[in-house]
Amino acid sequence: MRGGWLAAVAILAVPAGLRAQDSGSAPVGVRVGITYTPGTRPSIAVLPVAATALDSVRATLLRDLDYSDRFELLSPPPTVAMQGGAPNYPALTALGTDLAVAVVATGGVAGDVDVQLHDVRTGSVRNRLALQLPAGGEARRLAVHRAADEVVRWATGSPGVAATTILFVSDGRLWRVDPDGAGLANVPAAGRPTLSPAWSPDGRTIAYTAFVPDGRPLVLQDLASGSREVVPGTEYGVNITPEFSPDGRRLAYAHGDENGTDVYVYDVARRCCVTRLTVGRYYDNLSPTWSPDGQRLAFISSRPGSPQLYVMSADGSDQEALARFDFGSTGQSNGPEWSPDGQAVAFHREVGGVPQVFVLDLATRAVRQITGEGRNEDPTWAPDGRHLAFASTRGGVRQLWIVDLETGRLRPVAATGGARLPAWSPRRTFFSEAP
Amino acid sequence: MMRRLWRAGAAAVFVAMACAKPPAPAPTTPAAAPPDLARAADSIAAARRDSAAAAARADSLARAERERVRADSVRMSVQRMSADTAPQAVAGGLAAADSALLAEPIHFDYDKAEVRGADQAPLDRKVSVLAAHPRLEIRIAGNCDERGSTEYNLALGERRAASAKRYLLAHGVAAARVEIVSYGKEHPLDPGHDEGAWAKNRRDDFVVTKGAR
Repeated sequence: MRGGWLAAVAILAVPAGLRAQDSGSAPVGVRVGITYTPGTRPSIAVLPVAATALDSVRATLLRDLDYSDRFELLSPPPTVAMQGGAPNYPALTALGTDLAVAVVATGGVAGDVDVQLHDVRTGSVRNRLALQLPAGGEARRLAVHRAADEVVRWATGSPGVAATTILFVSDGRLWRVDPDGAGLANVPAAGRPTLSPAWSPDGRTIAYTAFVPDGRPLVLQDLASGSREVVPGTEYGVNITPEFSPDGRRLAYAHGDENGTDVYVYDVARRCCVTRLTVGRYYDNLSPTWSPDGQRLAFISSRPGSPQLYVMSADGSDQEALARFDFGSTGQSNGPEWSPDGQAVAFHREVGGVPQVFVLDLATRAVRQITGEGRNEDPTWAPDGRHLAFASTRGGVRQLWIVDLETGRLRPVAATGGARLPAWSPRRTFFSEAP
Repeated sequence: MMRRLWRAGAAAVFVAMACAKPPAPAPTTPAAAPPDLARAADSIAAARRDSAAAAARADSLARAERERVRADSVRMSVQRMSADTAPQAVAGGLAAADSALLAEPIHFDYDKAEVRGADQAPLDRKVSVLAAHPRLEIRIAGNCDERGSTEYNLALGERRAASAKRYLLAHGVAAARVEIVSYGKEHPLDPGHDEGAWAKNRRDDFVVTKGAR
């Protein structure tokens, strides 16, 4: 019997190949990969459910907690974990876990459930969340994801990122997929190709570049209604790399025309006024990304002869190189994204002509190479500031992968073949949305 | 070539002079000339001035009108969710030889947007065709190889199209007749993954958009 649940636990273990440090050819002075330190993560048991109707809820919860990369997960069978319909605290203690998650039907209306976090040592419910689960589909999955994120917050102090979704481009079209690989769907959008999607902080609006017959405008699109508007002034020239300010009131982007490509800011809140932040002559400034306080913008500039990472104040002043580079030898650097905690900027840089994901620590200005296998591009932060999604060819075909910077654990996101330019959403706080 | 440059230069000097001293009488007019003669010389100078200014104004008006039409088309396309297509040449009208000269692409060094010395001759040939067919309008499409990021290549492609346009304008082609667009690395000619393919893909394409007939 005991062997039985051990096997179940083993299934949850990360395949060794994915856990392995991602090493590759690295320039001298750059630390490769991240050290995987098992044992620092608390154990958590996900208890069996009484009703088979809740099996899929439990499975989703289990996977979400696994993908949070914050726990050693245990999945003990009913004979071990339960006694008389209640958690068997002594048995759970014997397994070496202090925490146990239960999903309990509360009767009455179908779909009423309690998600509980048990403190195994005191034998009591530490936290609970009453949920009314929608009957099915995406709304049901989202409700469970949100519950999982709450469990992570109860156990660790900060919420998980299961209730998020990732936009990406494949075959010139816009798609969305949840970080667990579920919910893949086309997002009808203007242009073909549609490029560089970006989220508003409230998750309701997206911005992107649309290739249409006479231009490369930036489009603001309401996700629920699908209504679209062109950012004024972007009917002309090439308009790329939009990013909303953290308060959602401004949109930074790059506009290119006969005089070069430069960074501009559009006042979305007032639907007026475009401010130019950079003035390049025969070189380009693009890919602006806001610091979480909205005071600074990191961006890419080719002023040193090849694109590299720069930073400026939000009014365009105090422009300076952000990540150290050597003229002529450091590879092209592109696709920066400021981390949600403000302490790092992820980007990709060519190493031997092959793009690899790097993270710049802003306190020390040191860069750390995260990937080394295949081409790895366009990293995007999860709202937790510890996971990055990026496009990688490491599996043979280009698709999305997610890395946890704390543990180094890597996993592919299912069904994302051909993916590029991912954009990780903020946490989704509302249920009804299209598509 | 030299003559064309000279002509463009002389025209620029004339416009500059005309603008600098609008009320001055023509220098050849004797001071004691009868008032009606001075008036005639004055009006000739004014007419010349007006025609140069009118040409410049017409070019800028034409350009503004084209930009307005293009902007309307962009907004319409976004609402209709139209997909972009590879640039399509306007068919017919031009002699095959002229079409071929206009369509000949030019190429660029890796991560560079400067017109190469060897590509000046093909651009000069386009200048000649455009001079001989004053109603022709073209679109220059900048393209990149697959290396480098999607987004940076869109900026680089725009710079490549812009440098060819700058060259044409410097050789007398009116700004309103040339529009530019960037395809970044979205439209490779050669799907290969080696320097041979990359060299072909780092290019400007030239497409006639109007006035072929």
